[in-house]
Amino acid sequence: MKFLKTKKTISALAVRRGIFLLLVLLWSWMSQRHVFAQNLPVHPGARPKRVLMLFGDAKDSAGILTLEQAVRAELQKDATHRLEFFSESLDVTHFADEQHIAEFKHFLRSRYNETNLDLVVAFPIQRNYRTAGELPDELFPKVPVVFVSINEMEIPFEISKLGVTGIVQRHDLSGTLNLIRKLQPNTRRIVVLGGHSEVDRATLAEIQGVAKSLEGMQFEYWTNRPALELPPAVSQLPPDTVLLLSSIQRDVAGQRFYLSEFIKTLAPKANVPIYVLASASIGSGALGGAVVNLEELGHRTGQLAKRVLAGANPESVPIEVQTTGTPMFDWRELRRWHINENLLPAGSVVLYRPDTLWGQHRQVILISFGVFLAQALTITGLLAQRRQRRRAEEKILTQRTELAHLTRVSTVGQMTSALTHELNQPLGAILRNTDTAEILLQKAAPDLHELRAILADIRKDDERAGRVIDRMRSLLKRRNLELRPLVLTDVLTETLALAAPDAQRRLVVLNLKTTDELPLVRGDRVHLQQVLLNLILNGMDAMAGIAKAQRQLLIQATVAADGGAEVAVSDAGTGFPADNCDRLFKPFYTTKPDGMGMGLAISKTIMEAHGGKIWAAKNPSTNGATFTFYLPAYPGNV
Amino acid sequence: MTPLASAGNVFIVDDDVSYLRSVSRLLTATGHTVRTFDSGTAFLSQLAPDMIGCVLADLKMPGLNGLELQAALARSVNPLPVVFLSAQGDIPATVQAMRAGAEDFLTKLTPKEKLLEAIQRALARAAQERAGRRRRQELQQLFSQLTQRECEVLVQVVRGQMNKEIADDLAIHIRTVKLHRTNLTRKLKVQSVAELTRLYEEFSQL
Repeated sequence: MKFLKTKKTISALAVRRGIFLLLVLLWSWMSQRHVFAQNLPVHPGARPKRVLMLFGDAKDSAGILTLEQAVRAELQKDATHRLEFFSESLDVTHFADEQHIAEFKHFLRSRYNETNLDLVVAFPIQRNYRTAGELPDELFPKVPVVFVSINEMEIPFEISKLGVTGIVQRHDLSGTLNLIRKLQPNTRRIVVLGGHSEVDRATLAEIQGVAKSLEGMQFEYWTNRPALELPPAVSQLPPDTVLLLSSIQRDVAGQRFYLSEFIKTLAPKANVPIYVLASASIGSGALGGAVVNLEELGHRTGQLAKRVLAGANPESVPIEVQTTGTPMFDWRELRRWHINENLLPAGSVVLYRPDTLWGQHRQVILISFGVFLAQALTITGLLAQRRQRRRAEEKILTQRTELAHLTRVSTVGQMTSALTHELNQPLGAILRNTDTAEILLQKAAPDLHELRAILADIRKDDERAGRVIDRMRSLLKRRNLELRPLVLTDVLTETLALAAPDAQRRLVVLNLKTTDELPLVRGDRVHLQQVLLNLILNGMDAMAGIAKAQRQLLIQATVAADGGAEVAVSDAGTGFPADNCDRLFKPFYTTKPDGMGMGLAISKTIMEAHGGKIWAAKNPSTNGATFTFYLPAYPGNV
Repeated sequence: MTPLASAGNVFIVDDDVSYLRSVSRLLTATGHTVRTFDSGTAFLSQLAPDMIGCVLADLKMPGLNGLELQAALARSVNPLPVVFLSAQGDIPATVQAMRAGAEDFLTKLTPKEKLLEAIQRALARAAQERAGRRRRQELQQLFSQLTQRECEVLVQVVRGQMNKEIADDLAIHIRTVKLHRTNLTRKLKVQSVAELTRLYEEFSQL
């Protein structure tokens, strides 16, 4: 029992400790997320690395912004130095004249010098190398330059020049056309929308070049219609048609456009999907295409810039030329045009997919899950603990039942001779009656009246023998504790009947004093009989050595102070040593030469299982001992 | 099985009323006269010198048990033979009972033949003992009539002394010896010296 209690405490502690640990981990994980985001491992004292982001075009289109941010992000990621960014834009779309360029150069020179710049990242975008590409080289010949250029047909400038490297990304036109054929195999007509700027025309020329090699596909170039006329026009296209958006910086009417804005007006009207060439165009209503992935391009540029910034010689870093685009789509448009996602080529990027619950509420889900986990662990722990305890209790109950059975068997063994005597009385009477009946039946005129009386007596004795056997059997039967409402006086009477033959043999007088006031108790008849029988046998054992006349055993039932019942068994025997009161109930403690020392220990557990108790005291008047057990009153009504 | 009603009663003592009734039934059916008592004390209180028969007693009884009853009976005016019945064999008790002269010691589950035989033997012994007791009383009665001197003469006679030798021995006259002899043969109702000798031997065996 004691051992069990310790084990229980340990497991409870372990569970509590586990939960605490889990909460600490959860908290630290959450707080660390912030720490990592805020504190970069930079050298605070060192001079910051200064990076000039130089744009050839206006810095106001979605594509350029995406590219720039990706470059910045990549440079800042795991940066070993603090970084300082500067940003200048020539805006050749609006200010392409020589004078303006000269003024811009002058302006840059006055702002920066070679000594305080560590890197120039040039964003020529399209065909602006003459300006943005050449500028840094001209202005800061000793500052390394990393450029990124889209759709350049030629290497933008002499790479032999000092300190320049970069990435050239080309439009993947054939990739986009292949996508169209793959996703919409029924397409027979591609309507190409294009503009009139230098860039627009160059892009169109590219498309036309690729279109020639494509058989079975009809291309229409709507380049001579003012952009404003286009939305109504695209609403009535035949179903085997798709739209391909080329570059439109300026339409035939000379109006300037931002492609993404233009798509927003176009897409709602269009009755066929719109394919595009740049990732920045996706999201405004275009379906997608094998596009220049600006974000990825920006990251690659950033990586390159980082290498150069870390000291790599730009000349030794070859210029990358990227010709394949990334298949990229707008999830909403795929749905709109009923295009099965399974048709998309491997490596496709699908944007604007609605966030899953996970994506939207990751933190809440994680915290909830953590709490849930902690709770589940607690519950599991508690359940395990409970199960462990219940198993232990069951085990104890089984052991107790078995021990109780064993001691009962041994008790009955002690009483065997008395019980045999008890059994042989009726058996003997039956035998004699049978003998007599035989003799009577041999007579000419049997006395039927006498025979009837004999049979009645035989039946009575048979029943009497049966009762003796029942009493014995109920004690010998292995059984579990069954608590039922009991009339205690009945239990006492039955037990005394059981013990009477033995008492007679030992010349002990059993006196039973009980009262009508006794409450109903809740208990197991046989187990209580066992306790009482054990006390009676002990009492009789204790009186074996005294004069026959004094061998009186008093069994007295009284109402306890709290309304329960108390049964006291007082002997006139030799008593027990004063200090033994508690040890008496310990297992294997015995004062008898052939005792097992289990009787009182079992009685104690039986009484405890009844919610009662048992104790011993010396008799105040005689030398003997009084053993008393208490049972609470039965709480319910019967 | 010859009923021996004349041989006397069977006094059954048993606290187990049911067995008491059953065994009394059996003995009645086999021609015995039976009286039943449910305790040793009850039996002893009714014991009279003229009661003839044997006792069939249970060994284990509350109050006076079988062995105690046997002891009390032996000390009484009418030491009837006892057959013990026990619900269960008990060797020490058996030994004690037999030593104290019990006729038999049976269990309650003994076959009826054994039980009846034991009763028969006990009754026979009772009759025999009773006859013996009666003879003893007769002899005591006869010899108690003799005077001191007659007794002395008798002892000499049965030793085969002649009258003269007796007279010398006792320092009395030979005629006085003859007178004593005549008186004692008359008192003892014998005809011859041989008869006198046999009677004296029987008496002295007592």
